[in-house]
Amino acid sequence: MLTLAIFGMLAAVLVTAATGVIVSRNPVHAAMWLVLTFATSAVLWLLLEAEFLAIILVLVYVGAVMVLFLFVVMMLDVNATVAREGFTRYAALGSVIAAIVVGELLALLWLRSSGLPITRPLAGMPDGHSNTREIGLELFGGHVFEFELAAFLLLLAIVAAIMLTHRQRPGLKYQDVSAQVKVRREDRVRLVKMAAERDE
Amino acid sequence: MSRISSAIKTFSLWDLLIGLRVTLRNFFVKKVTVQYPEEKTPQSPRFRGLHALRRYHNGEERCIACKLCQTVCPAAAITIESDVADNGTRRTTRYDIDLFKCIYCGFCEEACPTDAVVLTRIYEYHMEEPGQNIMNKDKLLALGDKYEGMIASDRTTDAPYR
Amino acid sequence: MIAWLNEFLGFLPDPLRIIAVITAQIVPLVIVLILCVAFLTYFERKVIGYMQNRIGPNRVGPRGWFQPFADVIKLLVKEVVVPSKANRFLFLVAPLLSIVPALATWAVMPLFPGYAIANIDAALLYILALTALSIYGVILAGWASNSKYAFLGAMRSTAQMLAYEIAMGFALVGVLMAGGSLNLGVITEAQSGGILSWFWLPLFPLFIVYFISGVAETNRAPFDVAEGESEIVAGFHVEYSGVAFAIFFLAEYANMILIAGLTAVMFFGGWHSFFAGSWFAFLDGTPLAFLREPSLAWLCVKIAFFLFCFLWSRATFPRYRYDQIMRLGWKVFIPVTLVWIMVEGVMLVAGVGPWRT
Repeated sequence: MLTLAIFGMLAAVLVTAATGVIVSRNPVHAAMWLVLTFATSAVLWLLLEAEFLAIILVLVYVGAVMVLFLFVVMMLDVNATVAREGFTRYAALGSVIAAIVVGELLALLWLRSSGLPITRPLAGMPDGHSNTREIGLELFGGHVFEFELAAFLLLLAIVAAIMLTHRQRPGLKYQDVSAQVKVRREDRVRLVKMAAERDE
Repeated sequence: MSRISSAIKTFSLWDLLIGLRVTLRNFFVKKVTVQYPEEKTPQSPRFRGLHALRRYHNGEERCIACKLCQTVCPAAAITIESDVADNGTRRTTRYDIDLFKCIYCGFCEEACPTDAVVLTRIYEYHMEEPGQNIMNKDKLLALGDKYEGMIASDRTTDAPYR
Repeated sequence: MIAWLNEFLGFLPDPLRIIAVITAQIVPLVIVLILCVAFLTYFERKVIGYMQNRIGPNRVGPRGWFQPFADVIKLLVKEVVVPSKANRFLFLVAPLLSIVPALATWAVMPLFPGYAIANIDAALLYILALTALSIYGVILAGWASNSKYAFLGAMRSTAQMLAYEIAMGFALVGVLMAGGSLNLGVITEAQSGGILSWFWLPLFPLFIVYFISGVAETNRAPFDVAEGESEIVAGFHVEYSGVAFAIFFLAEYANMILIAGLTAVMFFGGWHSFFAGSWFAFLDGTPLAFLREPSLAWLCVKIAFFLFCFLWSRATFPRYRYDQIMRLGWKVFIPVTLVWIMVEGVMLVAGVGPWRT
């Protein structure tokens, strides 16, 4: 009962937030609505006892991706009216995509009622069961090769991104912090010992 | 060799530890704070605080309206108007010091040939309304009368060094 | 204690009872935390004053003990000024977004043996997620204020917090490898024994990185470029006044206590006693035997020590330059943590070290 009430409440918040993402005129507001969407869906996952995924969703999407989004949106100062101009031009394509999505969702509902094995409700787990541990065992056990491959791809992407942005522009003056930090007193100051001068 | 030692220094955060040691040592040092309203730091007799105008023993104003103080004042804080008094002497009719302009340099005191304008040791004063920053002749004379003892004794103490 | 609460509130219907029991645990913790924050501001001023050969606040109450209450009353009766052209809603929500994660993280803190408000398995991840959330308060405050200083401060602190979060996350990876669990209670449990079996010894570089990153995460000196009084007035909260400012203040200090608490739990054995090791076995049977018992008091002592370290470093070090902060985060801390995780992995495989597998 309590679970159902919480689910209903969160689902309402989720739908409102998702609507907010597409209707709000201010891009920062839209981004904040998206954050709310992620947060509520994370809580919905918690209700499914998928705590690892829920927390990772908050950590990665809310904590990192959306912050970068906000960063960019705030810096760019997106002009909403200009962005809105092409709206009608893509209306036809947009409605086709929307129709496909709605059709897929309806198909899912139909699938659920058809009683196929994949649509059975999730099996409840005993109390001491650790979701996190299961995912870890799965990732580093059966799928370790795919996991490492994905990790390697990500590393490659990081290196590529740094290579792309980290080009040396000619005529640019900048401080080399490492060199500054490395400097020692002996490099700059020479201590000289000499006898005090005296009038003879 | 020096590279190795500097690397060790860097990674052991040696310089930071030295800094932390200094502050920790001072944490236990006896504090020197003066609890102001209850305790006060000793004042020099030369302290330059609020101004005052003095009189001679017979009650006559010392100020002869020579305007030397007005001339020497670097902040142009002093305004003087003068007239001939009833007894035929030259006297000020107006002697205003703007405390907001005044920088308490004490030049007026130095310039005064009759020791009329002086800076007292009073430093705890305040204004509550606009206009109170102008010290007119009456206020200055009243201050001089009130603190004549302090002013005179300060001048005596300092006299050997002038 | 929870069983007792359940019994006491047994007359309530089930969902209400669950909520009531949880609330009954949260409210005292939050009240104590807020009182701690109040007195932390007092101790900060005292400690920094003492280090600068002053005596700090000493007028309100005996030796200034009531200073925090005076400050709170002053802030509460002040007007909350919303700048013109500010985004009113986000402007007022931002302080809440910064205080909520700071307080919510305490839910998983193991306060004494076998107890945390929410004894969840993914506690370490939960902490990371919530610290990541606390960026929003800062960035929204900066943007919604419609002020360039606030915006600059928000930009600086966002970049800084993102950078140090990575180093912090890696340090936590080391802890979780050593503790063999994401649950903070289990991690504390794994450090049982004397001082030498706490994780600070085998994980010393990670401990240093974690603590310094914690200072950077909370935007405290010497990493307080987000406030940078001399350059951008007060950073992201320039435009805030009254209660809204007080909440930012509260969040900053609550975060400090949190970082100190997490450092204590993850590297210094949480509620374990200093005297638990076999060196102090002679205390058994004497009236001092209770010193060897794990308890909340030990956690408090450790938190107090790390808070002192926060204040100590604020009194000691000058503010970092912004590019140096970034260099330290990306080019020093992340490699150091990565190397130490490698070393730890080797030690784990070789079976060296105090941790269990």
